[in-house]
Formats: sequence, structure tokens, C-alpha cells
Amino acid sequence: MIKVSVNGELKELNEDLNIKEMIVELGYKKEGFAVAVNTTFIAIKTYEDTIIKEGDTIDILAPVQGG
Amino acid sequence: MNEELGMRNEEWKIGGKTLSSRLLIGSALYPSPANMEDAIKTSGSQIVTVALRRQAAGEGGGNQFWDIIKSMGIEVLPNTAGSHSAKEAITTAQMAREVFGTNWVKLEVIGDQYNLQPDPFETVKAAEILIKEGFEVFPYTTDDLVVAKRLADVGCKILMPWGSPIGSGRGLMNPSNLTAIRKQFPDLQLIVDAGIGKPSDATQAMELGYDGVLLNSAIALAQDPVKMANAFRYAIDAGRLGYESGTMQEREFASPSTPTVGTPFWHQFA
Repeated sequence: MIKVSVNGELKELNEDLNIKEMIVELGYKKEGFAVAVNTTFIAIKTYEDTIIKEGDTIDILAPVQGG
Repeated sequence: MNEELGMRNEEWKIGGKTLSSRLLIGSALYPSPANMEDAIKTSGSQIVTVALRRQAAGEGGGNQFWDIIKSMGIEVLPNTAGSHSAKEAITTAQMAREVFGTNWVKLEVIGDQYNLQPDPFETVKAAEILIKEGFEVFPYTTDDLVVAKRLADVGCKILMPWGSPIGSGRGLMNPSNLTAIRKQFPDLQLIVDAGIGKPSDATQAMELGYDGVLLNSAIALAQDPVKMANAFRYAIDAGRLGYESGTMQEREFASPSTPTVGTPFWHQFA
């Protein structure tokens, strides 16, 4: 297991997960949000090429009201 | 104003889109989602600002708010609110482009937490990179002419100087600064963004020759947001028509409007 931060909360994940697998493991649906790892945007098309590592900071953002 | 005479809602272009309303409206702070929808519709606005925030697992790939906005068929302008550096703003913009399916971004990089004043250095840096990445950047900036020049230099076609600090409702703090930006950049699209409190503030911005007004709190925090949305719709139309009509020259002294020739009971002033 590895420890990562997901939206500011400490989480334990299986090793060598890519973003697509991580999303499933965390219980997210397939769309309606965007992902950044260590403050760098990860496009959907590169989810399977991006492996989550120990200590990564992951942000998963969705639409909200804004001014 | 008379819609039958075709005096309202003349089309204009911004960010590659042709629109009739010159009001850009925010989607936050309304009493309810239904009230937000009614207010946006009543305002006639065709551009609504939205944002991105952390989503908890299990909330799924949608929400009531976003479903409402999508169903309205209007343009969305995602913001980078909460960013304190060019890097944060760029990442937020990239995420927004994917989620909202638009290359428009309201670039907002805050430099001071007290009055939410934009950071001009980081804003210019982020604007330059985002434009190279194909974004249509709507930069939120102060009314500083030199910052406006720097933003134009890196390719911004739209500038959004503040009227006064976000959410303050203080109206236009420095009309002369806004006028200077208008005169220096006749070919750019200029939007007054932030600080609008009353409909007359929006009218004033339009009378200065600004192409539009972006506001949120003034409508959402009114006691009756839907009625206030209607007020702003008229206010912006009035200001624009006033600008296009060409206001009279101010004079130092009074000048009678009623003809003086033939005045009865004439008395010569001593």
C-alpha cells in the first residue's frame, strides 16, 4: 500500500495504480470531474499512463457555482 | 427604450461568439438553485461564470447546479478563483477546459487576501501561457493602465478591470482610470468585473464605453434577486444606449433649456 493525499485527505491505495484505476478504487464515477496530480493537470487521455506514487497529492475537481 | 423600435439588444462579439446581452452573470450566492436559474434567465445574460472545487467520492459525475446550467444553453465562463499563482491558475484553467468543454477562462490570480486584489505579475505570466495553449483569456485585473498594457502585449483581446473589490458593492472607485483604459484600448473588449453594487453602477460602466459588465453579488445578494436581475438588464441597456447616443458636453454654468425669446414679464437682471 502507498499513502497519498486525495482532496486534502490522507488515503491508502494499492501500489502501481494508474489514474483510471485509482478513480474506480476511490469510488468516483467515470466523468464530470478533472484530475491534477501534484498540481499538474492530468488529461483524461493520459489517465492510464499516469501511475500514482507514494506521497502524491491528488486533486479531483467538479463544477460548482462561481462568480 | 422600446423593443419594438429595435433599440435594445444589438448584437456584439466577444471571444468568437455573437451575443445580444452585455451582462455577464455569476452563478454563486443565490438563495437556491431555482432562484439562480430564474435570475439568470430574467437577466437575459448569455454568459455565466462557473468554478471548480474538490469533489467527494460518491457524488458522481454531475450535480444539480451543473445540470441546471447545462440545460440553459448559455455560454459558460469558468474562473480560476482561489488561485494565488500563475501555476495554480494554469492548472485550474486546464482542468476547466476539460470539464466544461470551453477554451474560455476568467483568469483570476489573487495577490492580496484582504481585498482580493489581483496579482498583476502572476496574472500576466499566466495569461501569456494560456493564450499560447489556445485559451480565450478573460483576465480579471485592477484598473491600472500599465497592467492593462502588459496583458494586451501578451495577446489578451479582452480585459476585465475591477470596479472595486470583489463582493464589496462599492461601484466604480476610479472612473477616470477606467476611462483611460477605454481610450488606450479602443479595439479590445473591456468588461468591468467586480464591485458592482447597484444598477446605476452598471449603467455608469456602460456609459464609459465598456463593452459589458460582469457581476454576481449585486444580483444574488439582493432581497429579490430575480427582480434585481431585471433591473440590471435595463441598467446595462440604458448605459449602452446612452454611450452610443453621445452624451452632451458638461458646462460650467447654467443654460436655460426653455427659449428666452418672448418671455413674458421680462425683467433685466441688474
